[in-house]
Amino acid sequence: MSHLSTNLAAARAPTSLVVLTVACVLLCLSGVAFGSSWIPIDQVAATILGAGEKTQKLIVLQLRLPRVVIAAIAGGAMATAGFLLQKITRNSLASPGILGVIDGAALGVVIFLALLSDESNALVTSIAYQPVAAMVGAALGIVLVFTLSGQQSNSAIRLLLFGIAVGAVFKALVMVLMLIGPIYRTSQAARWIAGAVNEINWSEIQVTALLLLPLLVLSLVVARKLPPADLDETSARSVGLDLPVFRIVVFALAAALTAVAVAFVGGVGFIGLMAPHMARLLVGRSVYAGLVGSFLLGALMLVGADLVVRVLFSPVEVPAGTVTAVIGAPYFLFLLMSRQRHDG
Amino acid sequence: MTDDLAIAVDSLSLGYGGGPVLDGLSLDIPRGQITVLAGPNGCGKSSLLRAIRRLHKPSAGKVLIETTDVASLSEKHLARQIGLLSQSPSAPGDMTVEELVRLGRYPHQSLLRPWSREDSRALNAAMAGTGVTHLRERPIGSLSGGQLQRVWIAMVLAQETDIICLDEPVNHLDMAHQIDCLELVRQLNRDFGRTVVLVLHDLNLAARYADQLVFLNEGKLAASGPPEALMTEALIAAIFDVEATIIIDPVHQRPLCIPLRTTAHSVG
Repeated sequence: MSHLSTNLAAARAPTSLVVLTVACVLLCLSGVAFGSSWIPIDQVAATILGAGEKTQKLIVLQLRLPRVVIAAIAGGAMATAGFLLQKITRNSLASPGILGVIDGAALGVVIFLALLSDESNALVTSIAYQPVAAMVGAALGIVLVFTLSGQQSNSAIRLLLFGIAVGAVFKALVMVLMLIGPIYRTSQAARWIAGAVNEINWSEIQVTALLLLPLLVLSLVVARKLPPADLDETSARSVGLDLPVFRIVVFALAAALTAVAVAFVGGVGFIGLMAPHMARLLVGRSVYAGLVGSFLLGALMLVGADLVVRVLFSPVEVPAGTVTAVIGAPYFLFLLMSRQRHDG
Repeated sequence: MTDDLAIAVDSLSLGYGGGPVLDGLSLDIPRGQITVLAGPNGCGKSSLLRAIRRLHKPSAGKVLIETTDVASLSEKHLARQIGLLSQSPSAPGDMTVEELVRLGRYPHQSLLRPWSREDSRALNAAMAGTGVTHLRERPIGSLSGGQLQRVWIAMVLAQETDIICLDEPVNHLDMAHQIDCLELVRQLNRDFGRTVVLVLHDLNLAARYADQLVFLNEGKLAASGPPEALMTEALIAAIFDVEATIIIDPVHQRPLCIPLRTTAHSVG
């Protein structure tokens, strides 16, 4: 039986990845097709490939496509971060959301909005720096969680508990800053925290892509070392992997991926938890297939969530993060409960 | 260092913050032989094994393998020289036997040198040599203790190091599997000429399988030599605080220790 399941896993990985890629492309096209006016999917595809008349080009290429693209790459990056974290902690409950990264980024954004807006409720600097603030906050979060859990940072449970604790402190600080702040800051921050895929221009996407590309390549490079990292520390050392150092590298990489992703789309929750878990169910134990599968699923989820809020609530702008939370929270509970059955 | 030495331990000291665990210990480990480290609890035998593999940083002294100071080697280079199996290794239960044994090839790979035919050969040889080939697709969580220990040894074997260190490899095994496991180790030593360093608790197993027996006591070398020379009533009493009778095992012609009673101030 085990023979069969391993062979099936090996055979189904490429198939699953192809299916996921096709689904991803179709969903992205649908994401562009839907809006104040419906553009048929074949026309969307044609316009992206260079055809179409001027107005349609403007709508597709300048107004709608950037939003779908940023949702796809941010969702993919978050899921990649989640995959790395779940592998390195050997724990399927690990995710960027409960390791202090997203709460750190939220604090960064709120402090940025608080410090750099004047009495008339306007920002004194460019909003383009907001992602930088999110990244700094995310880095602060992960460093704090790691420092506090100290020597036992290799214990997944300990790390998760500290992540939750640090996250709670950051949430409280965010709340305080929002309550005492002017309205501009509060509404801007609230949208960020809920995880809203906003209108975005191509130059911002270029920045995101430039930051994410090396991180994603690095993820594929470290993937080679993930299998020996499954061992205990002594065994990993004896096959030549310095696990404590490698663990820090992977955590830093996951934090960076998450920070860049949430910098533009906000604190979208649960994608980093759900996508890697589902990816492993779909593609099996291979780390490369797992990474690619996680990225595709993450992209699918955020593009899908953004499409859902636009279809259901348009013209009111509801953050896509509400959809991922509504689906993700029960999924998390389900994971917890199924683990209990395993452990007990 | 002479040609027949695999490892030279040179006045090695080691401490974890409390008292010294190893205290200026020097020891030569001959090439191509089975050296067994033994001694009472807390004598530093596991620490010595781990220090040889540079898992602990010594406070003084050094370890030389093939005349090279281990402190100067990279992590991967060292992993191609010495394989070590710790007392309680762990890996996820859903990992298959083959996936685990493959990890032994990790130190031979790099970005520019991915999995090769040579790696496949070593993998298959390691699984065949330990008799786990038929288990290759099984998740390790489903194996028995004896099978699992063979798989871990296969992983170390796949590393294809000249030196293999095993820290109490038969600790959790029943009698049949203990013998099984140590026979396997001896076979690896005899057939492939590997230098083996073992930590064993059971003196009779130590005497049966050791070419060189090493007694440690309180972080110091107490005695070393062939088992026949070391297994004396006086030495056992001095090191283990046990009054014992030594007879010669009629089957293997090795010394056999029959403990009679503990002597003064011995603490469990």
